Amino acid sequence: MGILLFISVLLVAACGLIYELVAGTLASYLVGDSVFQFSTIIGTYLFAMGIGSALSRYLNRGLVYRFVWIELLLGVIGGFSSALLIMAFAFTQGFELILYALVIVMGVLVGLEIPLLMRIVRDRYEFRDVIAHVLTFDYLGALGASLLFPILLVPHLGLVRSAMLFGLVNAGVALWTTYLFSTQLSGTRVLRIACVVVLCGLGIGMADARRITATAEDNIYADDIIFARDTRYQHLVLTRFKDDLRLFLNSHLQFSSRDEYRYHEALIHPGLAAVPVPHRVLVLGGGDGLAVREILKYPQIESITLVDLDPEMTKLFSTHPMLTKLNDKSFLSPRVHIINADAFPWVDSNTESFDFIVIDFPDPTNYSLGKLYTTAFYRAVARHLSAQGLMVVQSTSPMFARDSFWCIAQTLKQAGLQTYPYHVYVPSFGEWGFVLAGTHEYIPPTSLPSGLRFINVEGLPALFQFPPDMAPLPMPPNQLNSQVLVRTYENDWKDISH
Amino acid sequence: MKVGRRKFLRTGSAALVGLSLKSDRPITGSFVNDAFQMGHLLRDRASFPPPKRVEKFPVVIVGGGIAGLSAAWRLRKRGFTDFVLLEMNPQAGGNARWGENEITAYPWAAHYVPVPGPKAELVRELFEDLGVLKNGQWEERDLCFAPQERLFLYGRWQDGLEPAIGLTQKDRDQFRHLEDLFSKFRASGEFTIPLELGRSAKYQGLDRFSFSDWLQQQGCDSRLVNWYMNYACRDDYGALAKDTSAWAGVHYFSSREAEEKGPLTWPEGNGWITRRLLERVGENVRTDQMVHRIAETKRGVSVFSGDTEFQSEFVIFAAPTFLAPYLVDAFPRLHDFIYSPWVTANLTLERLPDSRGAEPTWDTVFLDSPTLGYVDATHQSLRTHIDRTVWTFYWALAEGAPAQNRQLLLDKDWNYWKEAILHDLERVHSDIRQCVSRIDVMRMGHAMIRPAVGSVFSEERRRLTRRDPRDGRLLFANSDLSSISIFEEAQYHGVVAAQAALKRIGSRP
Repeated sequence: MGILLFISVLLVAACGLIYELVAGTLASYLVGDSVFQFSTIIGTYLFAMGIGSALSRYLNRGLVYRFVWIELLLGVIGGFSSALLIMAFAFTQGFELILYALVIVMGVLVGLEIPLLMRIVRDRYEFRDVIAHVLTFDYLGALGASLLFPILLVPHLGLVRSAMLFGLVNAGVALWTTYLFSTQLSGTRVLRIACVVVLCGLGIGMADARRITATAEDNIYADDIIFARDTRYQHLVLTRFKDDLRLFLNSHLQFSSRDEYRYHEALIHPGLAAVPVPHRVLVLGGGDGLAVREILKYPQIESITLVDLDPEMTKLFSTHPMLTKLNDKSFLSPRVHIINADAFPWVDSNTESFDFIVIDFPDPTNYSLGKLYTTAFYRAVARHLSAQGLMVVQSTSPMFARDSFWCIAQTLKQAGLQTYPYHVYVPSFGEWGFVLAGTHEYIPPTSLPSGLRFINVEGLPALFQFPPDMAPLPMPPNQLNSQVLVRTYENDWKDISH
Repeated sequence: MKVGRRKFLRTGSAALVGLSLKSDRPITGSFVNDAFQMGHLLRDRASFPPPKRVEKFPVVIVGGGIAGLSAAWRLRKRGFTDFVLLEMNPQAGGNARWGENEITAYPWAAHYVPVPGPKAELVRELFEDLGVLKNGQWEERDLCFAPQERLFLYGRWQDGLEPAIGLTQKDRDQFRHLEDLFSKFRASGEFTIPLELGRSAKYQGLDRFSFSDWLQQQGCDSRLVNWYMNYACRDDYGALAKDTSAWAGVHYFSSREAEEKGPLTWPEGNGWITRRLLERVGENVRTDQMVHRIAETKRGVSVFSGDTEFQSEFVIFAAPTFLAPYLVDAFPRLHDFIYSPWVTANLTLERLPDSRGAEPTWDTVFLDSPTLGYVDATHQSLRTHIDRTVWTFYWALAEGAPAQNRQLLLDKDWNYWKEAILHDLERVHSDIRQCVSRIDVMRMGHAMIRPAVGSVFSEERRRLTRRDPRDGRLLFANSDLSSISIFEEAQYHGVVAAQAALKRIGSRP
């Protein structure tokens, strides 16, 4: 019996550490600032364990019985802690409150475990052996957990299911205990039924973890959701699979960190490098700071104005360590001015002129966004172009939404601009299109900033060639009163999905 | 303090209701822009104090709606500035008044102008002046944005207001039959806007019976066809088809080309035009001026308002014509001027309600509702993100006699209309009570002229419209002279009356 008993000490210790790590990791994913999160969570957790230890002296009778219940409770709370925290973050304002409450409750329960166990076995061994064995296995369990967590659990199971797995372990220990100490227990039937219920609950949770984390969105976000928030303007979800970060706005993929450089280099450099002496740049949309990162590669640029609707989006990409790593802290550059405003009214009321204008809005999936793809809008934007200025428009896929792409090009033409459509291949998007537009002829650049991974001078002319399956189509321009683009876009994508 | 058990339960349950997530919002609001108190002073021949001051203007315009403002616009455009416009209400604009809150400007009545056809030269001239028409092109921002109109029927939405889903073969045949007839009428050139420029005696016969009788003669017994024809009459005339002259019913469908561009509209509806006109003529406009008497003298006309006598050579009478017998000395009784009462309301929405999956449109109508639906004031906004808005709700009290409905307007309190409006909206937007924070209601007893049977070709109307020097120095200008109350008619009569005044001033000895 001895070794079996000490293995449960090991397992219990591992569970305790896993819950702590889950809480710490989730907090740093969701809120950021990992040093602060880990420090405070470990501190709080240990402190709560101390409270648990202190409380253990008030438990006098039925120690095994109580131990089983503590294990079950911990299995449920710890097992669902990760799912609970993700939902708390997505659906409530009080994430921190719930986080620390959960950490304290788990800490207290974990703090009760070891003292109780020691007292349960103290009659069988010498006191010095009890201390030595229990603590040895306790520390061994902690080592195992701390190695398992980053190497196996997070990459393969994800946070939600890791926590549940260890919830199962807690409940398993509880069930096992009812057999180990069946002689010291009465009412084992009830206890065992409770254990089975908890095990089943967690088992279902494991199988259904996806649905718990992201309810209906799950088939879209195949990877772990590390951030989800409903801002005033949109539903923002960040997922991660190994080194691949993906941002979804209202369920539409905005970028994948593996290939976004292709998209953003293609968006910026063919146009910006062709402007003789660019000083001032305007970016409409682009709240991820990735286009700005590319623009900052031109030392002669004095100022970049970025107009994005959503302050939470620009704040997130200014502060979140994973994201600022991705955009090279572009929003922290003193050359960058962030304005959180609705683009059309801002363009209408502003009078500045710019040498390069980037229009990088989400695709025209509804009539509201459709307004930002109209002749009226492009006319208003073109008034901000300097004499040598150019603008570039993210124009959806010329392959999957061919009608829409050429409709956008035609709209720019109708607004009185010369247009130069081009396209690139972005693996996570497929073929993607852009339209350069200006009031004068576009001459492709003969030099580009150093350090680009995708765009080069030799390759530029090929971007402007459209093979037959993406070749121009005659399309009407998109206007506020017709909004043909929204319907066109809807039909284009409908054709693909059927 | 002793709290009774009953009271305790009541407050307790109220607190619980307040805590539940789905509780209704408290809705505030009131009646606004009431004008009947002033009108009733005239009706009841109240006595007014004698004038203390005299002011002299060659031309006085009575009434600051679109007709009066258009007259002023024409006078100033011709370089004539020596006139005054007297408006009874604190705000000029008449049926083209607007309101404004922290969310948006919104209309109080008329909210669009169809893209004018080639006959409507004066409207085109105005829109060129306002920058809406440039080099033959309509400014994109002033055209109604897509999507424009939707109709709720059979638990779902359809685009456009003419029922197009769930039709039987009979419904379809009758709609097509009518469209054929209307295009023939259209081709005849008799049904124009302005009405005066096309109308001849050719179809005068249509004015002798009602539009519903005419529909019956055409074999139109389809329920949906009749709903749509009645909707059109309620919308433009505030009347049912049975109370509308067949000539006017045909005019509604035969006077405009089926244009793709959609109407011209603005967040504050035709209030936008009022604003632009006031920028041009505002210095001649005096509000809160209730004219209580107009007397023709040997040398001219005196207009009495407050404590002032305005002595003029000509008066452009742009107020509703039915007021003339109460204002003008020895004016005969009028018989052919019947007006439809209306209720309009502006609803402030703190969030957009459940719309059964549909994106918001400009104009929303429910099949079989006694009301006319609502228009979204933020539809013409250039913003992409709209979370609060204002809806203008329209309700022509067409069922029953106008006089009875006017009494209803006086009898019922604000709460009655609030509930009636929410009840109507609730059928489609189930959570509307959780979205609306304010409902302001405007009651108009004489909101618009009704083209009743016999009124389009009325002799009385013809006489008031001819602006003949033999008829004196009063030049009538209200849109009710056309028997239909639309922007283009008001503007036409205002401008023509101003031109007549200028001509007679220019030719004076």
